[in-house]
Amino acid sequence: MAATKRYQRSDEPIWWSLFSAGGVCVAMLIPALIVLLVFGPWLGLLSAEALSYQRMSALLYHPLGVLFIGAVIILPLFHAMHRIHHGLHDLQWAHSSLAKWLCYGSAVLLSLLALGLWLLGVFV
Amino acid sequence: MKQPDSIPSDKQHLSMTVQRYRPEQDDAPVWQSYQVPYDDSTSVLDALHWIKEQQDSSLAYRWSCRMAICGSCGVMVDGTPKLGCKTFLRDYPKGLKVAALANFPIEKDLIVDMNQFLHHLTALKPYLIGQPSSASEPNRQSPEQVKRYQQFANCINCGLCYSACPQFGLNPEFLGPAAIALAHRYNLDSRDQGKAERQPALNSKNGVWSCTFVGFCSTVCPKGVDPAAAINQGKIVSTMDGVIQWFSPKQLDTTPQEPTS
Repeated sequence: MAATKRYQRSDEPIWWSLFSAGGVCVAMLIPALIVLLVFGPWLGLLSAEALSYQRMSALLYHPLGVLFIGAVIILPLFHAMHRIHHGLHDLQWAHSSLAKWLCYGSAVLLSLLALGLWLLGVFV
Repeated sequence: MKQPDSIPSDKQHLSMTVQRYRPEQDDAPVWQSYQVPYDDSTSVLDALHWIKEQQDSSLAYRWSCRMAICGSCGVMVDGTPKLGCKTFLRDYPKGLKVAALANFPIEKDLIVDMNQFLHHLTALKPYLIGQPSSASEPNRQSPEQVKRYQQFANCINCGLCYSACPQFGLNPEFLGPAAIALAHRYNLDSRDQGKAERQPALNSKNGVWSCTFVGFCSTVCPKGVDPAAAINQGKIVSTMDGVIQWFSPKQLDTTPQEPTS
């Protein structure tokens, strides 16, 4: 009888779930935000005062502002790094687990940086 | 010699360039051109028959049914995987190049070794498991239950999707489009109870997770199966399966073993 080895469950569901959630944010939320925040005042949908620094920073550093950080920075980061990781594999530039560590590691580090800056804004 | 009735020689001709590989004399595949008569009804398979009968009896290729159901005559036509019997010369008036299916080792001329695909197919147990139907009572299914899997049941195992798949090209251990689509088909079948036996292979790196949703498999499928959809639905199933397992109390491990050669 041929030797057998156990099927090993892939850890890809974690990265793929973050990638998928990030994809929804990149495809739906970010274009909507760009329309609202960039073209809003120009089209007269928003007054420039509504986007004043005080107002926007108060909104961002509200406890629910963490949702904005998650949807606009953290999930899109994982989305982008997942694409880059698989792109490197497709181009046969990197097959190693080092590439995986670098890709998802940088997403984790940049996410922590974003969360840290947000916490700094909330509490300082 | 008498011409076959389907391709009279007074018809127009085009140049068909065929990939040849005769292991006893060629170090690598070479191209050979033939002037082939054709009309509106001449398929690539008809043209190969004509070459074999009229020009070069040494040409080797697989075929059987001539009507897109046996899945034997898959070839690359101008770089795209196609069934020879379902591809017509009238669509290539400037000539065409016919090669062996990509991503498989070539045995001779247009004949490839499909063992890797068959190996993957076997690993995913594409048949009903459990609940044997009794002689007196047929297994009943509602139209809704049939509809859930029917789309994925039309696979003819021609292997075109494996030739189309860049991930299978990079990693032949990837279980691949047709095998995963068929595993999905049986997992969706209300009569089947074999999901637990198939899931470990699907959950592995070489299961659904090697797919990057290129989607070319679904484009080339001659039967309109959508393997890319099956695999990506399979990713959701695999993720749910993982979440359930991570939050379940530890049980006796009965996961199937991966055969290694």
